[in-house]
Amino acid sequence: MLFSSCYSVRIVNRDGIPEPDPLNTSRDFYKGKKVRILDTVITLKPLEGEFYLIEKCASGGFYSFEYRVTLGGALLSAITFGKKRKVQIKYVCLKESN
Amino acid sequence: MATTATFNIGSWDTFHNNGPWPTKILYETSLETQGNMPLWFDRYNDAALEIQKLIISALNNQEGFRAYGSAWSMSNIAHHKDNMQYNAAMNMKKTIADDELHQNSSYKQENLFFFQCGNVIKEISKFVFDNGKSLKATGASNGQTIGGCLSTGVHGSGWDVGAVQDSVVGLNLIIGDGPLDIVYLERDTQPALSNVFADRIKARIIRNDDLFNSALVGLGSFGFIHGVVIETEDRFLLKRYVKKISRQDALDLAMTLDFENANFKIPEEIDENGKGNLPYHYKVFINPYVDDPNYVVELMYKKKYTDNYPDPLPNIKTAIYRDLIILFTKIAERYQSSIPTLIKILQTSILPPVDLEAIGTLGEIFWDAAYQGPAFACSIGVDYRDSNKALDLLVKLAREEGPIPGIYAMRFVKQSKATLAFTKFPVTCMIEIDGLIWNAEDNNMISLAQFSTRIIEVLQENNIPFTLHWGKNADWSFPGIIGYMYGENANIWKQCRSTLLTEKAAILFSNEFLIDTKLNEYTPNQNISVV
Repeated sequence: MLFSSCYSVRIVNRDGIPEPDPLNTSRDFYKGKKVRILDTVITLKPLEGEFYLIEKCASGGFYSFEYRVTLGGALLSAITFGKKRKVQIKYVCLKESN
Repeated sequence: MATTATFNIGSWDTFHNNGPWPTKILYETSLETQGNMPLWFDRYNDAALEIQKLIISALNNQEGFRAYGSAWSMSNIAHHKDNMQYNAAMNMKKTIADDELHQNSSYKQENLFFFQCGNVIKEISKFVFDNGKSLKATGASNGQTIGGCLSTGVHGSGWDVGAVQDSVVGLNLIIGDGPLDIVYLERDTQPALSNVFADRIKARIIRNDDLFNSALVGLGSFGFIHGVVIETEDRFLLKRYVKKISRQDALDLAMTLDFENANFKIPEEIDENGKGNLPYHYKVFINPYVDDPNYVVELMYKKKYTDNYPDPLPNIKTAIYRDLIILFTKIAERYQSSIPTLIKILQTSILPPVDLEAIGTLGEIFWDAAYQGPAFACSIGVDYRDSNKALDLLVKLAREEGPIPGIYAMRFVKQSKATLAFTKFPVTCMIEIDGLIWNAEDNNMISLAQFSTRIIEVLQENNIPFTLHWGKNADWSFPGIIGYMYGENANIWKQCRSTLLTEKAAILFSNEFLIDTKLNEYTPNQNISVV
């Protein structure tokens, strides 16, 4: 139950080149890549049913996008009837092409 | 204006954690935005000035300076204790204009491209693909910067093609802090670009074969490689086959590269006379701890490009648990005898699946590397006719003095013109030993350093001429190793470096790796006529 309720989904741009970060020494997929993290709770108003997160990449595109599904996030959404959405996202922009 | 961020990092490590080593400063240089500086050559020349500012700073502080890209090398070749400049964001690229081709060039204008140092292979492949072209060769993956590829001799297994540097026909180097220290270097016998191009990048032109061939695999020590001219070819596809064939057939092919008359043939790759087609690529995988009568081999054949082929890349890619790899390493360190079993368990994840067939462009077949963790790699170049003998010796070494947590492979590369190319034999067989970094201290296990020394000793004792991959683990301090591998070419390389660089610049662009190998030796007043 715990494992199946807490996992990540990562989408990677097949032909993209990630924005590099020489200071990122993590030992995972993100090593050497410039990672941006969104970790927040979105509160929707009574008449609102969906939302957009508007992010900017200098290159104009995303290299990868990882969405984390957690048990806590699912419970929060359930008990607030979908009005509070826990968002945990990691993304990497495309490297600027020059 | 281009800008550089400064980080007082204290220590620096390679991508595969082969360090760390003490390091004072890491610089990260970014180009001026295109909106603020729209003209291509203005931006490029502005970046050159920014690099010269960093060089001035290092010279004023009597310190060294070294550029690096993706940090994929496993030796300390990319490291400098004083100033390291990360140049991945310096990735300008262009086609060659009509007036930029040298009037005596034997190269086709449409095949030449100019790339700034920080372009990684993947973006170069994409750029040339979008112009209807393909690189001739890459390494086994695509994340290295072009500057790093040249400096360390990155190669694939194109036994009739060569390594990455063998497609490079011009170099733009920054060798000091003055206006005359921006040079455009190419072969005198094979000029590529015109004086007009050199003027546009404000470079002094040097056309000299010896200097070019020496700077081509320059170990990061011939100045700052700002840009390179690459010759490409028309797009092509590679048909990839993975087969399990008899050990004897695999090794016979390694010794002869006679694919036409080999016992082993792929039915789809036979000509009208029943002879085998010549592959673009041949690779043999060997588990050193198993007396397997069959080996896994990988062959690739060049095919005419078409848009209509199935995508060779899976749209779902999985990876082994990182923790599992750490666990395996710990088990291997504690129980040496478990290593052969662990390798057998991991083999299915390491080796490509047998009977796999795929077709794709060079960039698709040699796509993103999956493993991001700690790793070692030793890579030894021998004449392909010595491949079986050398392999036997190195397998015996692992069995009798190991085990070590690694697996072997053989790849084959055409001879390079670069003075210090480790692909120096008519066809070089690169015997590769790749694996997980281990800690030998706890259990009387042979260390990587000891194993690296023994590789040299064993091959020397058996009179097998060999070279070592500049970007991989080796005993670079082994007495006389450079002279043993390269003979007079090592002296030519040093003479050329002493000709091109002032003594002050030679010290600036030296590092511990160069000192260990004694390639930092400088001889003033060399006689090579260059300008």
